[in-house]
Amino acid sequence: MNIILVLIPLSLMLLVTSVWAFFWGVNNAQFDDLETPALMPLSDDPLPVPETDDSGEST
Amino acid sequence: MSSTHCFHCAEPMPADVQLLARVGASVHAVCCIGCQAAVEWIATLGLQEYYRLRDTPAGRAVPVDDYAAWDRPQVQRLHVRRHADGSAEACVLVEGLRCAACSWLIERALRDVPGVRDVGVNPAARRLRIEWSPNTISLSEILVRLARLGYVPHPINAEALDALGQREERAALKRLVVAGLGMMQSMMYAVALYAGAFEGMNSSTRDFFRWIGLLVTTPVMVYAAPVFFVGAWREWRTRQLGMDTPVALAIGLVYLASIFETLRGGSQVYFDSASMFVFLLLSGRYLEMHARHRAADVVDALARLQPALAQRHAASGALETVGVHELETGDTVVVAAGAAIPADGVLLSANCPVDESLLTGESASRERHAGETLIAGSIARSGPIQLRVVHIGAETVLSSIVRLATRAQQQRPHWAQLGDRFAARFVAGVLTLSLATACVWLLVDPSRAFAATLAVLVVSCPCAFALSAPTALTRAMAVLARQGVLVLKPDALEKLVRANHFVFDKTGTLTHNRLELVEVMVLSNRPVDACLRLAAQLEQANTHPIALAIRAATAASNSAQPAALRNVAGAGVEGEIDGHLYRLGRDSFAAALGQASTIGADDDVVLADSSGTLARFTFRETLRDDAMTTLAVLRRDGATVEILSGDSLTRVASLAVRLGVADYRARISPAAKLERLQALRGSGAIIAMVGDGVNDAPVLAGADVAIALGGGAQLAQSSADIVLAGDRLGALIDARTLALRTLRILRQNVYWAVGYNFILIPLAAMGWISPWFAAIGMSTSSLLVILNALRIAVPRKAVAATAPAAEIAATARSVPA
Repeated sequence: MNIILVLIPLSLMLLVTSVWAFFWGVNNAQFDDLETPALMPLSDDPLPVPETDDSGEST
Repeated sequence: MSSTHCFHCAEPMPADVQLLARVGASVHAVCCIGCQAAVEWIATLGLQEYYRLRDTPAGRAVPVDDYAAWDRPQVQRLHVRRHADGSAEACVLVEGLRCAACSWLIERALRDVPGVRDVGVNPAARRLRIEWSPNTISLSEILVRLARLGYVPHPINAEALDALGQREERAALKRLVVAGLGMMQSMMYAVALYAGAFEGMNSSTRDFFRWIGLLVTTPVMVYAAPVFFVGAWREWRTRQLGMDTPVALAIGLVYLASIFETLRGGSQVYFDSASMFVFLLLSGRYLEMHARHRAADVVDALARLQPALAQRHAASGALETVGVHELETGDTVVVAAGAAIPADGVLLSANCPVDESLLTGESASRERHAGETLIAGSIARSGPIQLRVVHIGAETVLSSIVRLATRAQQQRPHWAQLGDRFAARFVAGVLTLSLATACVWLLVDPSRAFAATLAVLVVSCPCAFALSAPTALTRAMAVLARQGVLVLKPDALEKLVRANHFVFDKTGTLTHNRLELVEVMVLSNRPVDACLRLAAQLEQANTHPIALAIRAATAASNSAQPAALRNVAGAGVEGEIDGHLYRLGRDSFAAALGQASTIGADDDVVLADSSGTLARFTFRETLRDDAMTTLAVLRRDGATVEILSGDSLTRVASLAVRLGVADYRARISPAAKLERLQALRGSGAIIAMVGDGVNDAPVLAGADVAIALGGGAQLAQSSADIVLAGDRLGALIDARTLALRTLRILRQNVYWAVGYNFILIPLAAMGWISPWFAAIGMSTSSLLVILNALRIAVPRKAVAATAPAAEIAATARSVPA
C-alpha cells in the first residue's frame, strides 16, 4: 500500500496543475467563445496565396 | 447555391443584375457590387473556406464607406483605449456577424495584417476586440478591411472592453471548475473510505484518506462556496430568510462536522457530499446567470444601435464629421442613405423612408415626411436627408426605451415576491423541522441524528420556489422584447392571460392614422383620372391624411405646382391649374365657387371649379392588416371584444361591421370610457384595454392590463403595462400566447417544487435518505426548474413572421447598392 503515498501526492500535483491551467485559460479568453474553434479543424491548409494586389487595399 | 440566389448573401438575384465573382477557377453569380467585392476579397485572402464552413448566409455587403473619421482624436478618446506600451485596443460591434464561420473569417483575415496584435471575436455578442499598434496601422484601415469582408463595423465605447457580464461569467466558471475538480477528488477518496469500511482498513490509512479528503475539499470551501456564505450573511443582516441560509448552513455544518470527525477519528466524514453540493448548486447558478445575461443582451443591443458619428453642418456651411456626443440641440445633421440616425430630430428634407426596426421589430420601412420626428437609431433608407437635432443623449427615445426595459427587468413581479415570501417561510419551516429531527433522533438513536438532520437541511429545495418565477419571467420578457413587445410591468403578463374582455380604441389602434380613397363620384363630364389628377396636384404639398390618400390613389406624380396655391385651415385647398381656379375641400368651402351639391357623408371631400362640383371623394380609414385576424383569434380564445371610440357613430359602426364586432360605442368621452370599464370590471370581467397610449392614458389606467400600441415619442410617457412597440396589433396575440406558455411553465415549476419537497423532506427526517443522495436530489430539482424556464421561446410560427428586433437591427442596415 505504500505506493499510494507516491500516487496521491502525484495526483494532487496534477490537480493543482490542471486548476492553474484552467484559470490561465479563463483569464486569457479561451472560454469566451466556445463555437468558432470547433470549426478550425475543418479548414484546409491555406492555398498557395495568389499574388495579393496591394494597391487595392488602400480603398 | 443556385444562380437564382447570390453566392455571398443568398438573397434572391435581382432580374436586371448580371454580376459575377471569380473565386479561383469557379465563377459565382452575386447580387450587387458589394457582394462581388466581398467574395473576391475573401478569395484573395485565401479564405474561401468560409463559404463551406458557414451555416448562415452572410449579410448583403455594402460598398465600403470611408472610416477616416474614426481616426479623429475626439472620437478615439471615447472608443479607443491606449496601453502603456503604445498599443491601442478597441471593441467593435460587427453587424452581419452571424455564425461561427464569420468569426473564423474575421479572425483569419485580420490576424495577419501587419500592426494588428490581437484579435478576439465573440460571435454570441457580435463583438470583436482588436489590439493594434497605432504606429503601423490606423483604426480606420482595420475597419476598412472588415468592411471589405462584407461586415459593417461599429466601434463601441471602450468601457465595453471590460464588460461586467464577462467578468462575472469568468469568475463563475472558475468557481464551478474548482468545485467540480474538488468534488471528483473527494469522491475518489470517499470511495476508498467506503471500500475500506467494508473490506477492513486500518485506522491510520483511514485517517490518511480523511486528511486528504479534507485537503481537497478545503479549496472548494474557501474558493467556491463563499458565494453562499456571503449570501447567507446578507440575508441574516436584512433579516430575510432566503435560499442561501439553509444552503450555507448545510455546507458549513457538513464541512465542520467532517473536520471534527477527522480530528476525533469518528465514524463518518462527508467531504464528498459537501463538495458535490457546492458543485451542483453552482452549476444551477451558472445556468441562471446565463439566462440573465442573455436577457440583458437585448437591452444592450438596443443601446448599441445609436451610431457614434454624425455629419454636422458647421457654421461655415461645410460638413464635418463629429462624434455623436459632440452634437447639440439645434444642430443640423446630414444622414446618408442607409446610415443610422444619430439623434432624435425633426426631418427637414421632404420625405424619406425610415427603417424603425429597432423600435418595431419590423424591417419594412415607414415613410416619414418633413416636420416629423425621427428617432435616433432608426435607419434612413434613402438620402441624404437633413435633420435638426431635438434630443440628444439620455433624452432620446432610444435611451428611454432602454431605461424602461431595464426598469421592468429590475422590478420584482408579484409572482416572484410571492415566491420569495413563500421561500422564506419555507426555509423557516425547514430549519425548525431539522431542529426537531435532531432532537427526536438524539432521543431515539443519537448515532443517526447528525445524518438525518443534515439530510433534511440538504434535501429541502427552497430554490425551486424562489427561482421559478424570476427565471421564467425574465426569459419571457427577453423573448418578447426581441419581438417588439415591451413588458413594462411584469405582472401584466399574468393579467394578459386572464383577461377575458378586450376593449379596443379605434383610431390608431384598429386603424392606421391614415385614410384610403374608396370612391370617386364624378359629378361632371370629366373622367375620373382627370379629377384625381387635379386633386392630387392641389394637395401636392400637403401632408394631412386626405392629401396622402389622394396622392396614393394617383399613380403618376405630377410635378406642376398649381399657381396661387392657398390652404384654408379646416376647409380645404385652393389653386389655379391651367388658368382655372379649383377648390378641394369641405362641401361648404368648395361650393362657394359654384353651386352646392349636398349628397354624401360629412367626411367627403369635394373638388369644384367655378362651374360647380366636379367630383366627390369618399374616404375610409385603413384597417390595420392584422386587425381582422387579431380580433378573430381573441374571439376564438373565448374573449369578448368591444370597441370604444370617441369618433362619429357612422365611422365606428362601419368599422365594427367590417371587423364583425357586435359590441361598440361611439362618440364617448374618456370619462365615459372609464365609466364603462369600471362597469365591466364590476360585472367581473378582467379587462385588457388596447389604445394608442397617448390620449388614452387615463382610460388605460382604468383597465386591468393596459396595452399601448405605438412607436416613437409617445413611448416614453406611456402609462401602459405592455407596449406593442412594433405598431403591429398581431403582436398582442404573440404576447398572449407566450404569456400563457410562461404561466404554464411557472405552474409546472411550482407543482414540482411542492411535490418534491413534500415527498422527500419527510423521508429525510425519517433517516431514509443519506446526505449525498439529498445533495443530488436538491440540486437536480433546482436545475430542473431553471431548465424548464429556459424552454420559453418564440413560437415557431412567430419567428417566421418577425425576426427578433435585435437581429433585424443588426442585419437590416445593408442597403441595396
